[in-house]
Amino acid sequence: MNIVFLILVHWLIVLTLAPLFTGVITKVKAFFAGKKGPSVFQAYFDLQKLFQKSSVYSSTTTWIFRAAPIVNLAAVLVLSLLVPVGVLKAPVQFAGDIFLAAYILGLARFFMIAAGLDTGSSFEGMGASREAFFSCLTELALFMNFITLSLVARSISLSTMIGADFPLSWKLMGPILLLVAASFFIVILAENARIPVDDPDTHLELTMIHEVMILDHSGVDLAYMFYAAIIKLFVFAGILVPIIFPIQTGNITVDMLVFLGAMLVVSIMIGVVESVMARLRLNRVQNLLLIAFALAFFGFVVKMWKG
Amino acid sequence: MTSWVDASCIIIVFLSLIILSNYRVVAMIRVFAIQSLVLGLLPFFMHASCISSRDVLISLITLILKVALVPSILFWAIRHVSMRAEIKPIIGFGSSIVFGALIIAGAFWISLSLKLPGKPVSDLILPCSLSTVLLGFMIMVTRTRAVTQVLGYLIMENGIFLFAVSLFDVMPVLIEMGILLDIFVAVFIMAIVVNHINEEFEKSAESIIPKIGETF
Repeated sequence: MNIVFLILVHWLIVLTLAPLFTGVITKVKAFFAGKKGPSVFQAYFDLQKLFQKSSVYSSTTTWIFRAAPIVNLAAVLVLSLLVPVGVLKAPVQFAGDIFLAAYILGLARFFMIAAGLDTGSSFEGMGASREAFFSCLTELALFMNFITLSLVARSISLSTMIGADFPLSWKLMGPILLLVAASFFIVILAENARIPVDDPDTHLELTMIHEVMILDHSGVDLAYMFYAAIIKLFVFAGILVPIIFPIQTGNITVDMLVFLGAMLVVSIMIGVVESVMARLRLNRVQNLLLIAFALAFFGFVVKMWKG
Repeated sequence: MTSWVDASCIIIVFLSLIILSNYRVVAMIRVFAIQSLVLGLLPFFMHASCISSRDVLISLITLILKVALVPSILFWAIRHVSMRAEIKPIIGFGSSIVFGALIIAGAFWISLSLKLPGKPVSDLILPCSLSTVLLGFMIMVTRTRAVTQVLGYLIMENGIFLFAVSLFDVMPVLIEMGILLDIFVAVFIMAIVVNHINEEFEKSAESIIPKIGETF
């Protein structure tokens, strides 16, 4: 099949399914709070509303501020091409694409931080500084996970590593995968500004990280940022799902249903964690990220021990 | 059942790491109880094919003593004491975690040259028990509160228990029971001592403050 066609189908699926994933998390949180909560399709309505509005720019901002949302969305879309979605194999895969994935994330983050600083607001500078510090530690855990997984799968291609082509066996590698899955779950929460690290709902000035950096964006720009964050969460969950549920029956319909069910389980897990945990104090966040690193490192040690 | 034993070993070391990085004493005691629960279920995983009365006995004693009795004594000990948080560890929490990770790697490296008599059910038991002992030791020496030091001691004992479980078939139960009794007595004495220290200090604080007032 034509590669362009494959890429377009991949994007179509990611773009349509990703807002639903966030909607489920919101619904789970509302259920725990004893509320009815917004519909699971709320993210689509929000995006539609934001795309109809025009942007307002502060006179202190430069082209960096305008470029950041575009770079962010583009980077995340490229990242989504490296990750398989259910039965759809990743359209782009080559040896070493894990580095591309990590640095694409770095590029998106760099522009986000630069745009935050570009507004000249001390408030956004603070968020940018926090983001830079925490993402340093998250990247450490992310790379340690990638190293362990690549040793398990004997490949440095992301889609081979997470078992899109051959399911990783929990029977043989159970303990290692347990550690990697736990560590990667913390990485998901930290990378996507979820609760123990950052709260996606509040606008309290003392605690925000992600929200504070996109505070000056409005209209279509905000929609881009919002969409990028949603897709990023979806893509990260898409990396975790094949690690936790390496089930492949060969039947396309069954496999797709298993994948969607697994995504539902992951979104419920994130929702439950967000509901039962409080946000960590800012100076305790690095301990959580270091634990994620220690878990991944422990997995690496066990892998070396098992040979 | 090897995969279950493997997973239990990993979880035990993971929980030690969590205790190492935690600063709230109440949470630490809870995590310790969970760790002991996993440890108490381990004999069933190891001899899943033929569970003997010995397995049930060991498991029951561990569950009663370490999951119920010791945590409740510790909770009782800290109830009247303002020892809710480990405030100033000798090594900070962030560096503790990194050192903890290195300790685990070291334990695995040492285990390479250790040979056990008999064939263990899982090859992860030895390195994991060594890691748990070392992590418990680290908690004991780097924390400054009496309760957290005792918790480090208890985690060390959990590591020794894990090691003893792997030698289950060649080692008499009596030794393990003796260790458990020692631990229980030690925790009991600690609880009494902590309470007495607290009472003494409260008294002395009350008697000191008026004197300071007089000197000014």
